[in-house]
Amino acid sequence: MKTKKWKASKELIRLFQTVGRASLIYDIQDSHSGNMALLWTEKKGDKKIVITSTGSQKGDLEPNQICFLSASETDFGYYKASSETDIHARILTSKDVYASMHCHTKDLVIATLDDEKKPNKPAPFVPIDPLGYYFLGGLVPVDWFKVPSGSPEMIRTIPERLSNHPVTVVQAHGAFSRGRTLKEAFFLLCIANNSGYIVRLANKLGINVKGLRNKIQSDPDSFFTYPPAKYLIEEEKPCDFPEEEEITREFFKAGARIFESRLSPFHTGSLSIRGVKTMLYAPMASMPREIGGPLREIPLSLDKSDSPELQIHKKIYAKSNFQTVIHCYVPEAEALSYFTNPGETEPVDRIVPVDAEGSFLYLVIPVVPQKFDFDELVRLLHDYKVVTVRGGGIWGVGTQSISEVLHHPSSLREICLYRIGALEQGLDLKKMEPKKAKRW
Amino acid sequence: MNHPSFFGHHSKILNIDLSKNLIQSKSLDPAIVEDYLGGRGLATRIFYDEINPECDPLAEDNVLVIATSLLIGTRAPTACRGHMVFKSPLTGLIGSSNCGGTWANVFKSSGYDVLVIKGKAAEPVTIDICPDEVKIISAKHLWGLDVHDTTKKLSTKSEAGKRPSILCIGPAGENLVLISSVMNDKNRAYGRAGSGAVFGSKNLKSIRVSGKKKIQIKDSERFQSGRDQALYLMKAAPITKRLLRELGTSGLLKLINIIDMLPHKNFQDNLHKEKDLEKISGETLRKKILERAGGCFGCPIACQRHTRTGDKNGEGPEYETIVMTGLDCGIYNLEAITNANYCCNELGVDTISFGGTLACAMELFEKGFLSTKETEGAELRFGNAKILREMVKLTAYRKGIGDKLAEGSFRLASFFKHPEFSMTVKKLEIPAYDPRTSFTQALGYMTSPTGACHLRGGYAVSLAFFGGTREIPRFSLLQSPIAIRNMQNLGIIQDSLGICRFTGFAFPTEPWSRMASGVTGMDFSTSRLEEIANRVATLERIFNLEAGMNPEDDTLPDRFSTEPVLVEGKEKLLQKKVIKRMRNDYYEVRGWDVFGIPSQTLLKTLKIKGRKK
Repeated sequence: MKTKKWKASKELIRLFQTVGRASLIYDIQDSHSGNMALLWTEKKGDKKIVITSTGSQKGDLEPNQICFLSASETDFGYYKASSETDIHARILTSKDVYASMHCHTKDLVIATLDDEKKPNKPAPFVPIDPLGYYFLGGLVPVDWFKVPSGSPEMIRTIPERLSNHPVTVVQAHGAFSRGRTLKEAFFLLCIANNSGYIVRLANKLGINVKGLRNKIQSDPDSFFTYPPAKYLIEEEKPCDFPEEEEITREFFKAGARIFESRLSPFHTGSLSIRGVKTMLYAPMASMPREIGGPLREIPLSLDKSDSPELQIHKKIYAKSNFQTVIHCYVPEAEALSYFTNPGETEPVDRIVPVDAEGSFLYLVIPVVPQKFDFDELVRLLHDYKVVTVRGGGIWGVGTQSISEVLHHPSSLREICLYRIGALEQGLDLKKMEPKKAKRW
Repeated sequence: MNHPSFFGHHSKILNIDLSKNLIQSKSLDPAIVEDYLGGRGLATRIFYDEINPECDPLAEDNVLVIATSLLIGTRAPTACRGHMVFKSPLTGLIGSSNCGGTWANVFKSSGYDVLVIKGKAAEPVTIDICPDEVKIISAKHLWGLDVHDTTKKLSTKSEAGKRPSILCIGPAGENLVLISSVMNDKNRAYGRAGSGAVFGSKNLKSIRVSGKKKIQIKDSERFQSGRDQALYLMKAAPITKRLLRELGTSGLLKLINIIDMLPHKNFQDNLHKEKDLEKISGETLRKKILERAGGCFGCPIACQRHTRTGDKNGEGPEYETIVMTGLDCGIYNLEAITNANYCCNELGVDTISFGGTLACAMELFEKGFLSTKETEGAELRFGNAKILREMVKLTAYRKGIGDKLAEGSFRLASFFKHPEFSMTVKKLEIPAYDPRTSFTQALGYMTSPTGACHLRGGYAVSLAFFGGTREIPRFSLLQSPIAIRNMQNLGIIQDSLGICRFTGFAFPTEPWSRMASGVTGMDFSTSRLEEIANRVATLERIFNLEAGMNPEDDTLPDRFSTEPVLVEGKEKLLQKKVIKRMRNDYYEVRGWDVFGIPSQTLLKTLKIKGRKK
């Protein structure tokens, strides 16, 4: 008698392994918790739920820790599958949903804690950053559950929440997301956690988060530079320019650094290098080493179908000699761009490094408003190489290499962390700022 | 129109017509500084206005312009470099040469920003420039002396106790050797492209300058913030902090070998034995012949090598000299190379072009196209170190085969009917980096306005290997045209500010932008500096086209398309189609048409006005 074994393509196993590992690298998971699931159709047409096994290490999934369950009836696979399997199974019955993911998105969880008497209905989470606001549909529901893990009430409530929202939070536990692909589900959790982190930082910096949220909700489009391009799963295709081996390698190295150093959430941001008539473009620049992302060769000339982000890359090239451009959503810079110095009424127009290396590499990092003047942005990029856009991420430029342009968001993140750290310690930033930064 | 002195300048151009024995001081228009900055940019613009591009470079029509920059006379690090522009007798195109030392600084302290020399003196002369007086005096007693003796004779202290600075030629310049240099402070050279011959053709032996005039800085605080940042970054970068001081440029030798870029035997291959390289490396130089390191005026890097071999002492050899008079000639003898270097300095010969020309002669000799009959018995074989010094002398005095070497490798190889052995671009010898090992470097040589020059063409090798965050792929067709345009522009900005290329190892333009704006109060933002660089590059191109350059000359010798070298074990060469694509792409990024001609729209955009006269 033949014993039926779980068999999956190497690609499917690799997908679970790489997304699992990425979730650990991005620190939205703990070693053994969380789970990932997707709908998979066998060769003969049977639908299966593919899900991680309970207690498996998501950073180092073994092939036998990826379970294949019947999507229509209970079978032996349920012995080993995640304790949240029933929740995932219900999520996966929704229209156009083929994947779901649950992570301990710590920053988001912290940002949604309350000390109200239970049971209660916690306030939904409203992101104050453009990625969070647009990708999460303006808000993320938060629910308190008496039994906050695999409980019948969760099985009932979470799929219902996810039918209206891409991400939902189980208070004090974690978040669930759904997507057309596992990568999209992971993407949404990264975005949500990043939004939580920004709100945490904003609270730490004494920024009026409630005020910001009111403004955002009354007129989001004027609060952010532009809505980010939709997460297109068909973007996930191989490189357009394999003959440029060295450049391709540079793109993947930079993409991995953006992701691993949390310079922009998974598959956000963009990176380009210009040629004479075309540019090589990574539209989802934050790319984990093992997952990567699309690399496109596209004309330098503007096209109506270009996303606002791509248009800015092209316009910068048209107005300068720069060879590389980067756009990232550095969370620390986003939060600091709303900071108001003590005794002042308007948020800062520059981020002044208070650390040694930052202050010698950059006189200041200019902060421009959401709806900035483009010529002014280019002028500032010439003089300062990196600019923070309030509600629009950061833009950096390089005269030569991808490595050079990558350095800007990386340095900026450190510069911001030092400033935030100094504030946490109650230090007077004005006293610490170099004199030269007063005139810039 | 008279222009009052403006910040960072004395606002004075010193015009000297040697034919008419005429000395005139004209005012410097601040608008030209705003558009062309100083140094290379300023000199190029003034040169362009003054010269007939079709003139014979060795006739009195040739004009020679030496410009200082707005940073010279300030405490900006390395800001001491003068820039000389002339029509090159070697290439027939623009000659554009930059030099450190003290001369440019002292010249500026004499109260002038720019020196323009025209005409031809009836007999050998020296120009003596002091704040109170400028004189043209006879140099008959100096004619025939070498650079060191000339400098010594002219270096008497002024009444104020200040030692003057001397710019002069040696016998090579006097004998119109096309690869001769003008020397400053004995051992610093305005090398490449035959500036020495232009001096010689004008019967101009030397220019002595002295003075103590200072310039005013508009915004000291702004200047200082840029200076602080520059110094910090130079102290932080190992190349500017340590390597160049300890090993000089010769410290590059082993490094460049790692990326297989060191030429060998007239660029026939790039293969060297490690034990051979060890004999001439920067490390060996330090152990065996270095007396002390030195620096140009105001330079914290101090890359100069003051050396001694036997009973002789002098300066050098630099990396380029070691490679071109050494490796490219198959010679790994440090003493012979150093002595040849001393001799080149004393007689005023460009070491790069000399090495490239001798290597060409050696290949001709070994392949039977040149014999001991022509060489008067000298065995011009690769590796023959014994002939090095003698060949420098024969070249400088145009004696025997030296008369042919004095013409540079293109004319030499053409004379012997094998121009294919001349490793030149636009008749200028290719320096010490094999172009097959980096697309960007190759394109730099192809498009350099002066012919194959690693400095005017863009010092791309640093991008390929030790450019820090700016390092780029070596074999990217997509990236090379823009990378080299940007590198050339950085070079133009550095040359136009009178600062050293080596600062580029530590940082690009931002601190300079602040210093330049601080000194003058003018807007020299980095975007303005870029605009100026584009303007200068295009004006140089226009001159070259007017001087008869054919865009087809923007290419490399056939050897680089047909004879591969090994890079990390793989054969590399530059196919003709690669050369063509890179050239066309480069034209496009420069805004030039498919024939390499700047369009009228570009001239309008860059606000390049036509010739004044």
